[in-house]
Amino acid sequence: MSDSVTALPKRSSRSGSERGAATAATRSDRARAEVRKRFEIAVLAGPAIVMFLAFVIFPVFMAAYYGFFKWKGFGAPTNFVGFANYVVIFSDQAFRDALVHNGFILVMSLVMQGPAAIAFALLLNQNIRGRSLIRVLIFVPYVISEVIVGTGWSLMLQYTGAVNDLLTNIGLGALAHDWIADPSVAIWTLMVIISWKYIGFAVILMLAGIQGIPDELYEAAAIDGASYWQIQRWITLPLLGPTIRVWAFLSIIGSLQLFDLVYIIWGQYVASTAGTSTMATYMVREGRLAGNYGYGNAVAVVIFIISLLIALTYQRFVMRRDTEGALTGASGRKRK
Amino acid sequence: MKALRKRSAAAVAMIGAVSLLAACSTGGGTATQPAATGDTTASAEAVTMSFWHNSTTGDGKKYWEDTVAAFTKEHPNVTINIQAVQNEDMDGKLQTALNSGDDPTIFMARGGGKLADVVAADQVLDITDKIDPAIKSALGDGIFSAFTVDGKIYGMPTSVLPGGIYYSKDLFAKAGITAVPTTFDELNAAVEKLKAIDVAPIALGGKDAWPAAHWYYFMALRNCSKDVMDKAAAEKDFSDPCWLKAGEDLKAFTATDPFNKGFLTTSAQQGAGSSAGMLANHKAAMELMGAWNPGVIADLTPDKKALPDLGWFPFPAVNGGAGDASAMMGGSDGFACRKNAPAACVDFLNFMATKANQEGYATAFKTLPANKEAKGVVTDPALQDVLKSYDSASYVMLWLDTMYGQNVGNALNGGVVNMFAGKGEPTDIVEAVKSAAAKG
Repeated sequence: MSDSVTALPKRSSRSGSERGAATAATRSDRARAEVRKRFEIAVLAGPAIVMFLAFVIFPVFMAAYYGFFKWKGFGAPTNFVGFANYVVIFSDQAFRDALVHNGFILVMSLVMQGPAAIAFALLLNQNIRGRSLIRVLIFVPYVISEVIVGTGWSLMLQYTGAVNDLLTNIGLGALAHDWIADPSVAIWTLMVIISWKYIGFAVILMLAGIQGIPDELYEAAAIDGASYWQIQRWITLPLLGPTIRVWAFLSIIGSLQLFDLVYIIWGQYVASTAGTSTMATYMVREGRLAGNYGYGNAVAVVIFIISLLIALTYQRFVMRRDTEGALTGASGRKRK
Repeated sequence: MKALRKRSAAAVAMIGAVSLLAACSTGGGTATQPAATGDTTASAEAVTMSFWHNSTTGDGKKYWEDTVAAFTKEHPNVTINIQAVQNEDMDGKLQTALNSGDDPTIFMARGGGKLADVVAADQVLDITDKIDPAIKSALGDGIFSAFTVDGKIYGMPTSVLPGGIYYSKDLFAKAGITAVPTTFDELNAAVEKLKAIDVAPIALGGKDAWPAAHWYYFMALRNCSKDVMDKAAAEKDFSDPCWLKAGEDLKAFTATDPFNKGFLTTSAQQGAGSSAGMLANHKAAMELMGAWNPGVIADLTPDKKALPDLGWFPFPAVNGGAGDASAMMGGSDGFACRKNAPAACVDFLNFMATKANQEGYATAFKTLPANKEAKGVVTDPALQDVLKSYDSASYVMLWLDTMYGQNVGNALNGGVVNMFAGKGEPTDIVEAVKSAAAKG
């Protein structure tokens, strides 16, 4: 879309100057078409741009503004404190803990879900009985709302919940645990729930990626006598690269912004005690629950900047080839 | 429609001015309200007000509908649009509404530090001189302290909610506990006896944090003198050793493992597995809570009726505490008018605080009315015990998070939960309070 917008006017102006003898009528026709095209673009893209500016860009600037104040959230902010909020954020152990948790979730999500999703996708790409049923079952958790997932798991994993009852009844009572509140296991509990919830999405992406690989490559490899595992290693995996990189990107962004599952399962305060707090739950606790809205806005800005830096770095160095032309624009074209 | 509203707004302002004058000139006496009514009906200009409360179901919701209907019958020119807001959404929604200028005329207020923030932003009406003197004496001066900022009153209390320990008389009898504990030694003995009959001695909704923090608040109430607590409210000074001793006492008590298993993931009020639900179903014997608890428990019993064997006793005394053993801690629900609200708003606040309406309130919410004249309708035996202690309390402190503000309350919640989980020390609670100051 951006290509057509930028390229069109250039081409028409050049052709106009070349054919200097063109009649005035055709020129005005062309100009009218041009105006009409611009009008259409404005009408079609305008509402989306207005919404984006009003509900994404404007709030970002407002958060940056409020972040410079000590503000209780009532009336207009008046107590300007400069960068004091930011100094407090980075010297607060609770925020650094949350940052570490986010990092752990980010890495472990990739490590746990990536290989499992590829394995599932390879399995589900085989002609096995009940394939579509398994596909649906794997995808179902992704469709269920976070609130329901969180409530359900938190009820089952309570000390007196179904999981411990089950363990006791099958004679494994010694394994019963306070899965949610015990700081030594809580983050792993969270990782299991996250993996269960989001693996369906990864599997669907991988499946689509695998099915996009031309059959001819597999046929050629089979004729050359390659084994099943050789084919997966040297054909499927490399050609699945773009899909894996896109999935990893989405997973990273999701890990950095993780909020709802933690907030619902651990409640407003227990998350930091159990070692599962994230930057977003920290923001809500120190901003909204404490009534320190200025500070909360500063935390939001920090989360935004951290996410933006990681996203840009990833796109620049990992997804460079995948997004060339689409996201990198002019600089990408120059490199060609 | 719009034009009509504008016109009526001007009229309302005039009525407001007139009835203000009337209220001032009559001074004392109970005749203020009928007189004001005469004024407004004579001018017969329509007044529309919006009213936010937090009772979305059952008797409480019906009570407000009936009360508003009774008020508008007396004041036919007034229309009140009720909006019942889910309790957990109330604060955030109200804050947005106040800032956007689309705020409710009458809204729920819980007083203390949060009300002080609204006052500081000049968004709430000073009703000091507008409260009917008869109502004021019926409620007593003490209860208005929760709604007083810098000597001015900004809210009308509807209930008093002192805290203490609710217990099951049946389970106490079964465990062979003959008298309610008055000291921590006796409480420890009771806990051991209850463990022997295989029930959770004390239910605690740690997931919500504030029920855990209440244990610290009460330890502080028994350990710190009134002067120290008042000084902390005024100067945010928590250096007195009693704050640390409160944490140490609490740590020693939690070390005896008196709470239900998995209390950190137990919520306070939702479902049979919550702490109130455990008490309602005789899975736990005690719970430290405010005076709203009988109503909450009644909703969670198998037959949805009040728990017949529910009893109450005050928080036990601690060894070597500087706080008075008869002192109580609690909060108060109430309502406030927005800045520039019509006079009918304050009329409605006075109306809801009358004896008859307060009797209805106490019955509908199964709680204690703010109006002392309405106490007669309290029949719940547990609440009658609360009332007895409340009437003889040497002094009543506000919940610490209400008194010290949201920011300190938030820090206390976090620090106490950490200690309950064995992750922090008593010193960390005091430290958390100090570091919170840097964020607000």
